[in-house]
Amino acid sequence: MGRLSVIVAAGALVLAAPLAGADPPTARQWLERMTESLASLDYDGLFIHSAGSQFETMRIVHRVEDGRSVERLVSLDGSGREIVRTAEEVHFYMPDRRVVLVERRTDPGSLLKALPAPGAKLDALYTLELRKGRRLLGRDVQVVDVRPRDAYRYGYRLWLDEASAMPLRSEVLNGAARTVESIHFTRLDLGKAVDPRALQPGVDATGFQWVRAGRRAEPPVAGAGWMPRRVPPGFRLVASRSQPVPGTPVRMQHLIFSDGFASVSVFIEPAPPKGPAPPESASVGSANAYSTQVQGHMVTAVGEVPPETVREIANSVAPLEGGTPAASAAATPVDR
Amino acid sequence: MTDQIREQMSALLDGELAPGELGLLVRRMERDAALRRAFGNYVLAGESLRAPGCIIASPGFAARVSAALDAGGAVPATAPAELARPAPRWKRPLAGLAVAAGAALAAVVLVRPGTDGGSLVAQQAAPVTMAVVSMPGGASPTPAQTQRLAGYLVAHGQYASAIGRRNAWSNALAADPGINRVVYEASEKR
Repeated sequence: MGRLSVIVAAGALVLAAPLAGADPPTARQWLERMTESLASLDYDGLFIHSAGSQFETMRIVHRVEDGRSVERLVSLDGSGREIVRTAEEVHFYMPDRRVVLVERRTDPGSLLKALPAPGAKLDALYTLELRKGRRLLGRDVQVVDVRPRDAYRYGYRLWLDEASAMPLRSEVLNGAARTVESIHFTRLDLGKAVDPRALQPGVDATGFQWVRAGRRAEPPVAGAGWMPRRVPPGFRLVASRSQPVPGTPVRMQHLIFSDGFASVSVFIEPAPPKGPAPPESASVGSANAYSTQVQGHMVTAVGEVPPETVREIANSVAPLEGGTPAASAAATPVDR
Repeated sequence: MTDQIREQMSALLDGELAPGELGLLVRRMERDAALRRAFGNYVLAGESLRAPGCIIASPGFAARVSAALDAGGAVPATAPAELARPAPRWKRPLAGLAVAAGAALAAVVLVRPGTDGGSLVAQQAAPVTMAVVSMPGGASPTPAQTQRLAGYLVAHGQYASAIGRRNAWSNALAADPGINRVVYEASEKR
């Protein structure tokens, strides 16, 4: 056997039995594998998304092109809305409103640093449990239970394909262990070449209003540099940017906080000219939002966390004192 | 809608639709809004059989269920047995997986002003059977509010974890004006 053959054979052995004689992967390692698989594999799947009384069948197509993931998520039985993430932009098609919201895609380099990833500190915030599950879609399954140690975040139950670590089913659970949102794949094609045409929008957007963030340099928005004075334990600032949010006419400050699994966005923008409005919150699925007005600005916190969490964060947002972060020990912005 | 499409949709919900037909049906649904709505009704009809009394009725729900049942859209009340044995990849273990029996609450809840726990209790502890549609003071968010929330979710999704992004964007897709929305009037001061 030549040298090359030996190397290939050894490599095949490692791939075929990566864990022979080794400890089985931990729950955290399964989560890390899942995160990597979702970002790096090509797949085409159908899933049922349910949140409260609402459920819709959706299709997701994901493909990696030149090292960047492109993605299409489309509602098949509801509004016909779809989101297409190209290499450069995110397009949100709303045929029911004849509107396309366009957002520039974040820089991949900094985004990789900013993306929440389950790290060693996750164990301090969540208890993780791993068990064998019943087969789904003809595949062997590992179930990972992610339970929060406090009331600031939701729990998750994930059914992961043993072969690929792709989540075949996922549930978001509130503090009462009730499911607030779930995703069940009913079909998932893995390991096949994804036809690029499957990533093209199915909506004919001719005549639609395209709401696009401006590309030219604009003056910094008032509110830049504002910061929450308090964030729940474990959350740290992972990114900040000053950019319009699609559908709104103004430039705003966008701060992103993460605990390694859950994340919260804080948007700070000039308050509407019609005058002060009372605080307001909204929820859809596991996502909660809370808006309040502070010194002529509207502050909105959004995230897949309990309503109390977004409310507490939004209510603590204030201008920096003397140009330095107030109580926010959070972290240093890594993205602009 | 032809009988063939009805049969295909039932087969899809039963996990019995052949891969070739599935691709055709999905492409057809992507092009045809009426077909998408009809499929949603089929799913609703199936869920109503599996979890009677556990689904909050949206406006027109009963009529849609009735229409779907009349159209033969009922699906088996039990999940297919293939859950326990290997099945072809395209088979769906499913039909009853769309809505967990314990799922809570209306899809969009507006709370104002300065609630101090009211919304949390409402969203986290309320049983699914609570009559949220009859809550006093209920109101729907305006289209502008809905669009604004969707915009936030799209922007937020870019920075969420892989699972979080899928949830956030799925919610942005689903946040259409046709779903139940409730306003809770709060009396507590901030």
